[in-house]
Amino acid sequence: MKGAQIFANVLDDLDLYPIFGNPGTTELPSLRNIKNYVLTLHDSISVGMADGLAQYTGKPKTVNLHTLPGLANSMAFIYTAKMNHTPIVITAGQQDMRHMVLEPLLYYNLESVIADAVKYKYELRTTDDISIALKRAKIIAQTPPMGPVFISMPMNIMDGEGNYQKINDYAFSNDLINNESVKLIADKLMSAKNPAIVFGYEIDMFNAFKEAEEFTDKLGCPVYGEPLSSRAVFNTSNKRFAGDLLPGSTLINLMLINNDLILFIGGDFTLYPYLPSPVLPGKDLIFVGLNIAPKLGEFYQMNPKLFLREIVKIIEKKCDYSRPKDLTFATKIANERSSMGFNYVISQAKKQFSDYTVVDEAISASYTVRNIFGYGPGKYFTAKSGQLGWGLPAASGIGMVNDKILLIIGDGSFMYTLQTLWTVKKFRIPLKAIVLRNNAYNILKSFAKSYYPDMENAPFLSFELNIEKIANSFGIDSMVAGKDLKELEWLREGNDAKVLVVDVDKTVPKLFL
Amino acid sequence: MKVLAILPDFIPQEEVKRTVAQIMPEIEITNTTEFPKSDADVLIVTTFTIVDKNLIDRMPNLKFVQVASTGYDSVDVDYLKMKGIMLSNIPTANKQSVAEHVIAMTLVFLKDMINLNEELKVHHRWPMLTGSRDLEGKIFGIVGMGMIGIQLAKRLMPFNVGIVYYDIRRLPPDEEEKYGLTYMDFNDLLKNSDIISIHLPLTEKTRKMFGEKEFSMMKDGAIFINTARGEIVDENALVNAMKKKNIKVGIDVYEKEPPDFNSEIFKMDDAIFSPHIAGVTIESQQRFLTETISNVLRYVQGLEPLYRVI
Repeated sequence: MKGAQIFANVLDDLDLYPIFGNPGTTELPSLRNIKNYVLTLHDSISVGMADGLAQYTGKPKTVNLHTLPGLANSMAFIYTAKMNHTPIVITAGQQDMRHMVLEPLLYYNLESVIADAVKYKYELRTTDDISIALKRAKIIAQTPPMGPVFISMPMNIMDGEGNYQKINDYAFSNDLINNESVKLIADKLMSAKNPAIVFGYEIDMFNAFKEAEEFTDKLGCPVYGEPLSSRAVFNTSNKRFAGDLLPGSTLINLMLINNDLILFIGGDFTLYPYLPSPVLPGKDLIFVGLNIAPKLGEFYQMNPKLFLREIVKIIEKKCDYSRPKDLTFATKIANERSSMGFNYVISQAKKQFSDYTVVDEAISASYTVRNIFGYGPGKYFTAKSGQLGWGLPAASGIGMVNDKILLIIGDGSFMYTLQTLWTVKKFRIPLKAIVLRNNAYNILKSFAKSYYPDMENAPFLSFELNIEKIANSFGIDSMVAGKDLKELEWLREGNDAKVLVVDVDKTVPKLFL
Repeated sequence: MKVLAILPDFIPQEEVKRTVAQIMPEIEITNTTEFPKSDADVLIVTTFTIVDKNLIDRMPNLKFVQVASTGYDSVDVDYLKMKGIMLSNIPTANKQSVAEHVIAMTLVFLKDMINLNEELKVHHRWPMLTGSRDLEGKIFGIVGMGMIGIQLAKRLMPFNVGIVYYDIRRLPPDEEEKYGLTYMDFNDLLKNSDIISIHLPLTEKTRKMFGEKEFSMMKDGAIFINTARGEIVDENALVNAMKKKNIKVGIDVYEKEPPDFNSEIFKMDDAIFSPHIAGVTIESQQRFLTETISNVLRYVQGLEPLYRVI
């Protein structure tokens, strides 16, 4: 059987379709028998779409990149998939091995390019390798810590003849638990004077919301979200939820100043920018999770869902925390109405889209988006890496299986991967996008305001974009919202993709401090 | 159609007459109810004139009473109703003034004005420490969200306070959103508010609505302001709360006006007073005059008057 046919069959056997990509001549030998190919108009978009879809479905997805240029174009997205712990099988064409020694056009050592961004990399040597390498790749991608893997596919291997036997997909389990460790952690928790809990993205990844709430309700202590979590961390309407930690060390320390033991479950701390305070000095830090590799404290590798299910049986009530209601919030929203502040705009958006999954790449407004929309199972996604351009493809990937998908994105971020709109139109993805337009990289301006005030008004931090015309040029309906935001109703109506541009307050706040 | 206006002594009647003569020359203006009989069809009064059976019976042609104020508890509404006489008030002219008065009283306490003024003016001292606080971030409870309550909320918004309110009728969601209001039941409002201001009419249900139980639920050191009606508050309970919970009090209205100045409340440090003039400003009086005359003109022309009470 030809290598291309084996490749197509194995993708079927391992439930790895659809395959996202932007092909070049190098990939054509691999794709001759491909059944379900999603074309994106830039290589990186294919990785972003696969990332969104894989995270949302919990199943690995496949990408086919155009050898060195495609791989290099996609590096930021592959790095993001690594940080998100998304299992993606990345494939790329490679030059015919018979003249590699002569370094032909488009040749490069692909494994060296991708080296640190993936967990497994392999260049096929024979056509018989295809089945074995793909199966291993999928298994390794799903083994904690989960993440992307890579297979290089030389043209002559994919054109060559090899053996194929149907592969039985395997039953994969991440049910890792250790009862002794659970007991040890429970004892520490019960002995602490004033513990706090920090939940991370693995709560959503392993669907542990119910267990997290049962544990929290019984323990009674305050619950925080890890800083800049890439996914939902807890049911934010629970009265024990005290809010998200902010990413600066000083800010984390201040929020947890009264707690002597901090138990991180399914998450870790992410820092930015540098602040001179050490992280949580003198505190007992315990981390539990499958993917995380904590930098401080003790670590116990366990599935957070199983851990919570077990520890809840042996703990007792320790505190009686209840989040105070923010009675100033309604006034804040009303006051921001005339200036189109984030609190007003996002609270209006929530009224229309509270049942939607939100992909958030509105960097300046992200804290507001999280705060107002809140977290729920499968309801919130953002890039863990901090890159821009991920949101539009990731939301579109999720939109392939979820017709309630809302992208909230800044105008700067929107421009990075706007060709995604072609794929959205082509594949009738029901994406609803709110573009918050402030004509600037406002997060940079905020940073400048805090640390380099002379840079706040630097001309290269501002731009003017006609987002609505850009969307229209891809055949996507678009409007600019008025002050009362009635257009949000229009945005929600129907299953066609739509883009709503909202001209928001351009005020630049300081970044954290 | 004959119109009679009974105005209190302190209103400059000659000036009013000069103005009114340009608009409604036939109007008769007096400062007393001590007349044997009047054949006027329309009666204009302020809140200082008692419109009771005795007066009404001396005006056999009376068809319409226009009160030139928000409150009309000086009018025997039931008797007017029985006689089929219409009654209107002017609920719009002084609402801004009352709202500003409430904020002024609030800021006097928060900014420690009484103490600081006394330190400099009386003691000639230059205090280094201050007990002054910001209004921003405080929770302001409004009891009664009528026209004055709304005006107060509008003026509080720029201060970035949390505005909570209680009323027997909740506002529609879009109104709440517009003014940044959070609805609460009465007890929750008492417990959560740093400042409480009353804007209710006096009815049998609101009489003594604030007593020992209600004051006991308030935060220690809360500011309590009454510009509505004195009878809504149990004054003894208020004095006790001032002693026990350090409640600070701004009062514009009294059960009996003028009040008994020997009352214990006038001996309390954390209390400021005004003589039922929260709604009385130069500007509001002009608005009252304009609105009152407009409404009477409306009636005289054969149109339905605005702000009908009955």
